[in-house]
Amino acid sequence: MKTTPLHQWHLDAGANMADFGGYDMPLWYDTGVKNEHLAVLTSAGIFDTSHMACVTVEGPDAFSLLNFCFTRDLTPLAVGRCVYGAFLNEKGHCLDDAIVYKFSGTSFMVCVNAGMGGAISDHLNKHKKDRDVTITDLTDRIAKMDIQGIDSVRILSKLIQSPDTVFGKMPYFSFKGHFDPNHPEAGASKLKNGTPVLLSRSGYTGEFGFEIFIAPNAIVDLWKQVLAAGESFGITACGLGARDSLRAGAGLPLSHQDIGHFKFMNHPWDFALPYNSDKSGFTKDFLGAAALVPEKNDVYVFPFVGDSLRKVAAGENTGVFDENEQQIGHVLTCATDMGITWHEGKIVSINTSDLPDNIKIKGIACGFVMVSKHLEPGTKLMLKEGKRAISVTIVTDIRPDRTARKKITHFI
Amino acid sequence: MKDINELNLPEDVKYTKDHEWAKADGDTVTIGINDYAQDQLGEIVFVEMPAVGDSFSAEDEFGSVESVKAVSEMYMPISGEIVAINEDLEDAPENVNEDCYQSGWIIKVKPSDLSEMDALMDKAAYLEMLKG
Repeated sequence: MKTTPLHQWHLDAGANMADFGGYDMPLWYDTGVKNEHLAVLTSAGIFDTSHMACVTVEGPDAFSLLNFCFTRDLTPLAVGRCVYGAFLNEKGHCLDDAIVYKFSGTSFMVCVNAGMGGAISDHLNKHKKDRDVTITDLTDRIAKMDIQGIDSVRILSKLIQSPDTVFGKMPYFSFKGHFDPNHPEAGASKLKNGTPVLLSRSGYTGEFGFEIFIAPNAIVDLWKQVLAAGESFGITACGLGARDSLRAGAGLPLSHQDIGHFKFMNHPWDFALPYNSDKSGFTKDFLGAAALVPEKNDVYVFPFVGDSLRKVAAGENTGVFDENEQQIGHVLTCATDMGITWHEGKIVSINTSDLPDNIKIKGIACGFVMVSKHLEPGTKLMLKEGKRAISVTIVTDIRPDRTARKKITHFI
Repeated sequence: MKDINELNLPEDVKYTKDHEWAKADGDTVTIGINDYAQDQLGEIVFVEMPAVGDSFSAEDEFGSVESVKAVSEMYMPISGEIVAINEDLEDAPENVNEDCYQSGWIIKVKPSDLSEMDALMDKAAYLEMLKG
């Protein structure tokens, strides 16, 4: 199994390790998933995401290739900005979701999931035809960590050169700098010790925070620096367990689980498709678009929340039943968001203002179901796995009052 | 995750292949999940228990434990009738993580044949099984 440069740190910290995408990764540390999840909502959490892969796409036709292969229309994407979307095959099935970073009109980077660097490189090469473009898989040449939570900018300000300049104008889904010291952008964001980093105001928790791309030989030192700088804020090292519950509560899909071998449509992630303003069509042609035409027997994906933190196992064996007790699908993801609860018929989160003093937030099960018909928000369903059955409600959103989109000035 | 030699496996209880423990005390047997199971599951958030008066055969599923990460069934080490459940776990399921042999016990059973206990593993045999 592959490891990241932080593997020994995880072992020394007593992490519960598991295979994820071919990498031996921490599921949780001694603090436990609940505390790790809550740390991101109330202070900050740090995640080793070095198992994720990066591919650079460079050359005169880099834009043309990416705009054909990626679901988002890259035409309006400015230099220094990044965008979330997906790569589809001809059938409209999702190979992987990804973030595309634009360094210049001819230079892009794609960040994909663990083990997918080679697959996405191959996919791009297969479709490049006679385009003048160079595709480079950086899988083992880049390391990455995510600092997520309301205190993340205050912590990073202690470690970054010229924090006022770096964080001064940094909207959601923008980035600065580069991990390669020879790159022209490398000077735009450096650690105080001179190490160049690519600092991106993004992440996959739904909360305010950053992803940091850095050379593999520098990440252990930075990881320790972040933990030391964040100690007074209560920063917590977080494993993939908290990452899964946070992203589910944020309504974000897990690749190969919530999106995969079925059409990339009729799901809560419409923003990942290039719809025009009235949703009557797409703003561009792209690979897989022709297959994304509604037809009979379409499947739909909806987010749900449970009545309590009780949950079921996800998978094909967990049935979704409607009010007539007819099975209409199965469960893709079922996690527990530890930061939310029902209050007077609404979901509230730890970050909801004006919560009553006596409210006890224990968490609620949440996730995604795949069903054979359209359901309105508020629809009640039963999820059944063996003898276990839980009642859930279809919703438009799971964890309210998420912080990811708030202005950076709110946190400085 | 604990190393095998860090596990708390008392000598005075018996173990099942599904990682429950059972301890006879007079004419009742107390049952829970062992240290290996609670460590593997992580933070336990809910324990589904049977009703007092329910009867089960050995190896029947009698309930489940749900952790933040996973859901896991529990199986009867022996046959018998449920005479008590640990109601404290309804409010404090974390007791199973904190002390799975004392405050984290799950059910008490009146066994139909106490000699079924002899078929369960002692600490040495259970450790052998874990080591594979």
